[in-house]
Amino acid sequence: MDRDLLRQSLNFHGPSLLSLLRSEQQDNPHFRSLLGSVADPARGPPGQQQFPGRKERRVDNIEIQKFISKKADLLFALSWKSDAPTTAEVSEDNDGVFSLKIVAFWFNSTLMKQNTELLLVILLLIFSDYYAVMPPLEQFMEIPTMDRRELFFRDIERGDIVIGRISSIREFGFFMVLICLGSGIMRDISHLEITALCPLRDVPSISNHGDPLSYYQTGDIIRAGIKDIDRYHEKLAVSLYSSSLPPHLSGIKLGVISSEELPLYYRKSVELNSNSLESYENIMQSSLGFVNPGVVEFLLGKLGIDESNPPSLMRGLQSKNFSEDDFASALRKKQSASWALKCVKIGVDYFKVGRHVDAMNEYNKALEIDKQNVEALVARGALYATKGSLNKAIEDFELALENCPTHRNARKYLCQTLVERGGQLEEEEKFLNAESYYKKALALDETFKDAEDALQKLHVYMQKKRRKSTSSSSSVSSADESLSSSSSSSSSGHRRHKKHKRNRSESSRSSKRHSAKASSNQIDQNKKDECFPVPANTSASFLNQKQEVEKLLEKQDRLPYQKKQVKEKDKCSFSSSSVEIPDDFGGRSEDPRDFYDSYKTQAGSSRTEKPYKSERHFSSRRDSSDSFYRNSEDKVKMYGYRRFEKDTEGRKEHYRKWEPGSTRHATSPASSDYSWKSGEKYKKSTYSGSRDLSRHEQRYQLNKNQGEYEREGNYEEDIKTEIQGEGLNSKDHSEGGVKKNLPQNLLNIFNQIAAFEKEKGNKPKN
Amino acid sequence: MEASGPGTCGGGAETRGSEGRLAPESRVHFRVTRFIMEAGIKLGMRSIPIATACTIYHKFFCEINLDAYDPYLVAMSSLYLAGKVEEQHLRTRDIINVSNRYFHPGSDPLELDSRFWEIRDSIVQCELLVLRVLRFQVSFQHPHKYLLHYLVSLKNWLNRYSWQRTPVSVTAWALLQDSYHGGLCLRFRAQHIAVAVIHLALQAYGVEVPAEAEAEKPWWQLIVPPRPGMRFHVFSEDLTKPTIDNIVSDLIQIYTMDTEIP
Repeated sequence: MDRDLLRQSLNFHGPSLLSLLRSEQQDNPHFRSLLGSVADPARGPPGQQQFPGRKERRVDNIEIQKFISKKADLLFALSWKSDAPTTAEVSEDNDGVFSLKIVAFWFNSTLMKQNTELLLVILLLIFSDYYAVMPPLEQFMEIPTMDRRELFFRDIERGDIVIGRISSIREFGFFMVLICLGSGIMRDISHLEITALCPLRDVPSISNHGDPLSYYQTGDIIRAGIKDIDRYHEKLAVSLYSSSLPPHLSGIKLGVISSEELPLYYRKSVELNSNSLESYENIMQSSLGFVNPGVVEFLLGKLGIDESNPPSLMRGLQSKNFSEDDFASALRKKQSASWALKCVKIGVDYFKVGRHVDAMNEYNKALEIDKQNVEALVARGALYATKGSLNKAIEDFELALENCPTHRNARKYLCQTLVERGGQLEEEEKFLNAESYYKKALALDETFKDAEDALQKLHVYMQKKRRKSTSSSSSVSSADESLSSSSSSSSSGHRRHKKHKRNRSESSRSSKRHSAKASSNQIDQNKKDECFPVPANTSASFLNQKQEVEKLLEKQDRLPYQKKQVKEKDKCSFSSSSVEIPDDFGGRSEDPRDFYDSYKTQAGSSRTEKPYKSERHFSSRRDSSDSFYRNSEDKVKMYGYRRFEKDTEGRKEHYRKWEPGSTRHATSPASSDYSWKSGEKYKKSTYSGSRDLSRHEQRYQLNKNQGEYEREGNYEEDIKTEIQGEGLNSKDHSEGGVKKNLPQNLLNIFNQIAAFEKEKGNKPKN
Repeated sequence: MEASGPGTCGGGAETRGSEGRLAPESRVHFRVTRFIMEAGIKLGMRSIPIATACTIYHKFFCEINLDAYDPYLVAMSSLYLAGKVEEQHLRTRDIINVSNRYFHPGSDPLELDSRFWEIRDSIVQCELLVLRVLRFQVSFQHPHKYLLHYLVSLKNWLNRYSWQRTPVSVTAWALLQDSYHGGLCLRFRAQHIAVAVIHLALQAYGVEVPAEAEAEKPWWQLIVPPRPGMRFHVFSEDLTKPTIDNIVSDLIQIYTMDTEIP
């Protein structure tokens, strides 16, 4: 309860309001104590005696008094106070910089979402006023000079800015006659003949020597800050140092100003003086600021009225009583969440019957409706995981957990997927990354046995491997071991050389990856997906595989060089930090994108029956493609496991080829990308250590609850066959880029392989 | 668009019964405009769009019998239309959600089923009806802009500490917004309403305009100009004390409904 305010009102209205208040607000504890004390004989009577005349004059306003007494609890509530607009009053000054600031603020707050055509108006306003600046009210009211002068000296404060003309210069300072005010209250003082003294010590010297006053002349317009006020003798002292101003005005320059810098209100006041018939309304209506579409927002801010919490004296409209849950945004959120959930349910139903594309559509719809819908994220993650897009699955699960850290399924699935991804990485020889995945899974769920087991196995394996590599045995027992140990004689200088070369050829993108690789952690893995440019036509993957083969052949012609490369490569696969080289070139990102794109193409080509079909034909297709692998591998088998390294070189070769030509640049990253993928694939298919088989089994058990979980390798093939049609279509395009650099005989081999594959790929479909 | 003079329509003074009680119609309008304002706040609308929505509503029921249409539907359409007029576009879905929650407190948002779309369709259809009834004249000159300019002028004339201490601006703004519970906006000129709410706010806190007694004319008479066509020297006849008193008294009458209507 604002007692001072209530007292002021009571003084104004007299005892009749007091008695009304007593009867109206007797239930209000705040008022009872307050009115009791006011009613005390010691304090009550002065209030009543003070304004007997007023009371008489306002007998007619009993209605208003009733109103006040009824609404007193709201009217005099402390929370009713407006935010004191201390900084807003500065805005009277029409300095360009200042109005720019205001307009910028105004622009940010109100206009960003609105019409851009208003921008023009804003620009206009920068050069004029943002609201209708009016001549002072007293000019219309025709108040006698005496009263104005009295009120000026009552209301002027230290720190106010005044503007005046120098009337005389003495040795102790100069006198100026005030013409207007630059901050605080905007009054019409030009005819009041108010003089102010600016003492010599408050005049900053312009040059190092000489009299600072010599800079000023009689008649100069001076802007100065009020330093001292003698209200009784009506004397003012001003200063030209900005230290005389309050902090929020300290940016304003004091001293001589031009007539253009005079405040707008003063210029309007001068205009009014020359045409005293102009009415307030006319001046207001003709002002550009009045039609400013943002004038209401601006003035609300200036007057300290908060629109986000609109004031009302209606009891039912006290917005502080409104529940946040009833607001539109909260309701919409709730509604969207339940809508999204509905979509997820439909999607899950689709999923159960194996209509994965439809399920994905529903999940995506759900996420479109409600971006952060945890259920949709978990469901989509599960679908991704089922489809082998483990990175995407992990992303979704992680986002779901972020939004709802207690979601049990999200946690469970994330653990499982992390372990699965770890297993994948292990196969790809990215042991450190695999380890980090396992560790992450364990961090999520300490009791997750599979992660623990996998981590242990990995550690054992890594130790074994390390021992082997140090002994530099040349015996080859399994694919990965051969990779790491087939050749270990190259020097570290070689490696550096190779890295350097890579840097050069790959341009800035690779260097980014390079540094990321150094950390060789799991974040790096995730990022990689984004780093990679999505090939123009991803369905060309098969083709590029072939291209790779052909490049391998090409490479054999250059054995001497190749050998060196192989050595380098082998050396690299040794040390843990450079084990990841092949991975850097796309092995990692293949799965999600592969899946995603095939998913898209599927959806786009309206072959909705596809999923069923491909499932049906699954086993046969797998066989055939396996055999394909075997066949095509035969070509390179004699070189043992070194085809992997050749791939590296192939890529390299490739890079070198397109390095100078910027036109070929566009297609090449894609193909090099895919060369890597194919390399990986080869490896995978030949990769048959018992270690992995057990892991696979384990993994598939985990995901049984997700429905039919296919071996991810199979899935890739699945996609392959599905997209083969597209792949063939785009062959010409992709081939075109390569052809130029290929000898004719290689091309023939290439085409043969393509034909073979085409046959194979189409078989399951037909 | 502003009302040309008092007594044309819109409830208020002339609908008051013999005992000073308000006619049942204005009580309905009070309730519905209360709904408009509450929904407007919950929709995050600014004051002027809310005022426009209320004006559209009042104007509609000036022309149309209250029994003809569901006032709440008209209210929802008014909100939607006002959002368009005042460039603060609302989505019907939000309007339906907020309204549904208002009518069924604590209930869950409607499902986006056929029922929802039916409600949406009726809002849009009703919007067209409102537009036709109002002859597509749905842009109004509100007192808000005048009020704010008057307040700035007064602020410069009043002692700054007295101004800071007294929430005149907030109260005047609240009074103006609350005035839309009745048809004041249709019966008085925007400038007059602006002056009246300032007058009432100043009175409520016992604030006096300095030197008003010494001045040739009261502040409000200088602010408000002659009506178009009137000669300058008679401008004081345009806004008279009785006019202010009428507005104030109508406004206070609206507040009595606040206590009468739960």
